[in-house]
Amino acid sequence: MKQIQSILPKCILIVLLATSACVSTEKTSLYEEIGGRETLEKVMGLAIHRIYSDPQIGHYFKGVPKQHLRKELSDQVCELIGGPCKYTGKTMVASHKDLNISDADFYLLVEYVQQAMRDIGLTYAQENQILRHLAPLKSQIVYL
Amino acid sequence: MRLKHVFVSCLIASISSIPIPCNANTGSALLFSGGTTSYEGSAGGGITPWALIGGYSSKEQINGTANVQLLQLGDYQLTTAGILVGFYDRVELSLQRQSLDVGDGVVSKVFNLLTDGAVSVAPGTVIEQDIIGLKVKLFGDAIFSENPYLPQISLGLQYKKNRDFNTDLPLPSGAVPLPSTGVPQLVGATEDNGTDIYLTASKLWLGGALGKNVLTNLTVRATKANTLGFFGFESANDDSYNIEFEGSLALIPTPNTVIGVEWRTQSNRLGGLAEEETIHDVFIAYFPNKTWSATFAYVDVGSLPFESRANGFYLSVTANW
Repeated sequence: MKQIQSILPKCILIVLLATSACVSTEKTSLYEEIGGRETLEKVMGLAIHRIYSDPQIGHYFKGVPKQHLRKELSDQVCELIGGPCKYTGKTMVASHKDLNISDADFYLLVEYVQQAMRDIGLTYAQENQILRHLAPLKSQIVYL
Repeated sequence: MRLKHVFVSCLIASISSIPIPCNANTGSALLFSGGTTSYEGSAGGGITPWALIGGYSSKEQINGTANVQLLQLGDYQLTTAGILVGFYDRVELSLQRQSLDVGDGVVSKVFNLLTDGAVSVAPGTVIEQDIIGLKVKLFGDAIFSENPYLPQISLGLQYKKNRDFNTDLPLPSGAVPLPSTGVPQLVGATEDNGTDIYLTASKLWLGGALGKNVLTNLTVRATKANTLGFFGFESANDDSYNIEFEGSLALIPTPNTVIGVEWRTQSNRLGGLAEEETIHDVFIAYFPNKTWSATFAYVDVGSLPFESRANGFYLSVTANW
């Protein structure tokens, strides 16, 4: 009896610790995990810098200030991956309408964003999870 | 000449990991999205096609691949090579030549059995098969789907023609005991050609397993083939289509590798010597860039005539253009 009494509190303690550990890992959103807004701004800044000088897709961004696009994209991705941001820009369809963006253009942009995430130091797992949130947007970008 | 030069420089760059720019344009679609090449020539895993269109073409492009493959199965050795063209990320056309070397030990045992021991030594033989493949993407997008659960679905045909259906099997003396009777006929097949029809679904789960991408694939095939067509098609008492199932489950642990398992059921229409079992494999594929990929696998074909444990190593290289 005495033995059981001394084991029981230990068991409860272990269960509580295990549960709290679970809860705390679930609470860390992808946004916090990658280093928040600062990391997103870095990734978008690097990707945009390269995209603007790309001979195939750079022209789509003529007249769009780099800083503006950087903020918009950071807001949007931040919101998509569970961060405390609100994207207030134009809808995806509105901002890509009549640009006739091709499938090849879209893939090239994805590759620039992927490369920027790797260069800034995100893990492959973080990169994939961010892409998961962006992938469904393709139909709102290509051939509108 | 120029193409050769670019290919070699890319190969050197990828092997040595020095970032020499590769100028060869092999298409815009993302790495992995063209799959590797199945032994039948269709883009997919090693033993089953995927719904993905081979090559890295986007909707505006035409790109393709060339492949060579080797599978060692005890007394049997399969070598196969072919080309594939992917049109606009919609249609895939492939041509594959397969060559199955059957060792003299196996052929001797077959004769020994058929002649009640009168003939017990015979040279090995080769069974060749040609496959023309057509695959059409019906709907969906395996990677960039609006609906997170909707796979990409493709419909495919594989016309297979066994080139050694009635190739003589001579004895060491040169005598031919059964004229115009090749291995497929010996084991009971009645046709030298057949067309497989398959429906395949593929879905890439971005970040699906602890953040790593997961590829799932399921194929349903209607076929009249005996042991993938090497032992011909149909039999005296069964000339109808059988429905078979195939699948792949793969994990993408790094940006350049895919590891996975595959399975494929078979009909076992002939039974006896040519008994068929479910094929399994475990593979690792390496995609250094969009110029080429290599796949290494361990394949278990189940059983082949006089090779009750037909399993062995598989190597395949696909070059993209």
